[in-house]
Amino acid sequence: MHIPDGYLGPATCGVTYAVMFPVWLIASKIVKKTLKTKQVPLLAISAAFSFVIMMFNIPIPGGTTGHAVGAVLAAILLGPWAACIAVSVALIIQALLFGDGGITAIGANCFNMAFVEVFAGYYIYRAISAGSTIVSSRRIVAAFIAGYLALNIAALSASIMFGLQPVLHKTASGQALYCPYGLKTAVIAMLSEHLLVFGWVEAIITALVVKYLQKQDPVLLKMQEEVKA
Amino acid sequence: MSALSFLKDSVFSDEYAGCRGFLQARDTRFKVAIIFLLLLAVLFSKNIYFLILLYMLCLFLAMFSKISLGFFLKRTWIFIPLFSFFIALPALLDIFSPGRPVLSFNLAGITLRITQQGIAGAVFFFVRVLTSVSLAALLVLTTRHYALLKALRIFRVPQIFVMTMGMCYRYVYLFIEIIENTYLAIKSRVGFVHSVKKGQMIVAVNIAGLWQRSYILHDRVYSAMLSRGYCGEPKAIDEFNSDFKDWISLTAAILLFSAGLLWQSCCLS
Repeated sequence: MHIPDGYLGPATCGVTYAVMFPVWLIASKIVKKTLKTKQVPLLAISAAFSFVIMMFNIPIPGGTTGHAVGAVLAAILLGPWAACIAVSVALIIQALLFGDGGITAIGANCFNMAFVEVFAGYYIYRAISAGSTIVSSRRIVAAFIAGYLALNIAALSASIMFGLQPVLHKTASGQALYCPYGLKTAVIAMLSEHLLVFGWVEAIITALVVKYLQKQDPVLLKMQEEVKA
Repeated sequence: MSALSFLKDSVFSDEYAGCRGFLQARDTRFKVAIIFLLLLAVLFSKNIYFLILLYMLCLFLAMFSKISLGFFLKRTWIFIPLFSFFIALPALLDIFSPGRPVLSFNLAGITLRITQQGIAGAVFFFVRVLTSVSLAALLVLTTRHYALLKALRIFRVPQIFVMTMGMCYRYVYLFIEIIENTYLAIKSRVGFVHSVKKGQMIVAVNIAGLWQRSYILHDRVYSAMLSRGYCGEPKAIDEFNSDFKDWISLTAAILLFSAGLLWQSCCLS
């Protein structure tokens, strides 16, 4: 889902940067207010954690592999605003230092993965797990559903961005200037692979990590409440 | 694990950033601004010749920066541009790009036509992606990573982001080592894992284990920060030095960007 440079036109890049600037500002203000001084390195370590999660190749039936984004997991562990910063930092470093995702598309990538996926995943998880104890199996189900749905919502957002390009940027002769596929094709292509493959990867990993932490170290699942306190 | 090895190779390859080439000699703040301007020129360009010109400039910059051309081409053509090439292939057909047909053929009883608009669109898309990737690669290859993150301050990126990025970058190294060691330990104990379910479980346990270690680590890092005098606000040492060559390079980039916009408006009118 990392959009490279050249796929999106200036209008989409500009709008997504314009949307993300206030989000980053609000996130940094909220995190600065709620995060205790002692927890500042936690944010950097969480960003590194989020970065590394995207590097894990997870086996998928059929012999191939896929990778999780880990944005929902970060939101469950850190809360949505801190997760928004952590995932954004991971995406910016990936774009600047490793060429994974474009520099002009940083706004779009952060909008999809650090904003849409993080907040959608967090609130779906909260809605399903509301009122349950920290070790309740409902939390595992909530993490699974949140991981699956949030990644697909983010994929839908990315596909809408792709699909808008031929509408927004075309020469007089009908030649596409950026991503050449229309909305219908882009949505079908992106959603089919995410609904069938990557959504499950994100769901399984999010749920399994929550399950493992419930058993081994449930305090870590309460950490985002601790950050707020 | 292949993704991890690739990441490790890219993280530890600081070879070209230490050379005495044209881009390496530029002040990092100016270099970021120059590359960003050129990326914007690529983004706004609606002229294939201007894009080719910018791509040629990338190759010249790579040569003057003492980057082996073979290495540069390998680094910039594989992965994203090649992937984009395959993505662009169906766009040659009239199903996606209606227009004047230049070639038609039958596939499983269906007549498909390659159109002029399809070819032009696919070539444009591919050259744009290739030039963008080449510019980004020039920046990454010729700059020490910590200097690149520090230079972000000129774009008024909030301090919490810059500090988090700098620290995050350092912990990525550590986490890669931890994961590699964990995988090696698993491999030496259980060998190759055939079951998909077991494989997924191992990855999940690894991620959860990494999070546990991260949480323990942040306490120690905080103690280390306190012992170095951290009192809530990060302080950074600026080591940037600019000279007239940096200003000339930046002016050239601004002129090129403006020329691109002008060329475009001339072509449109």
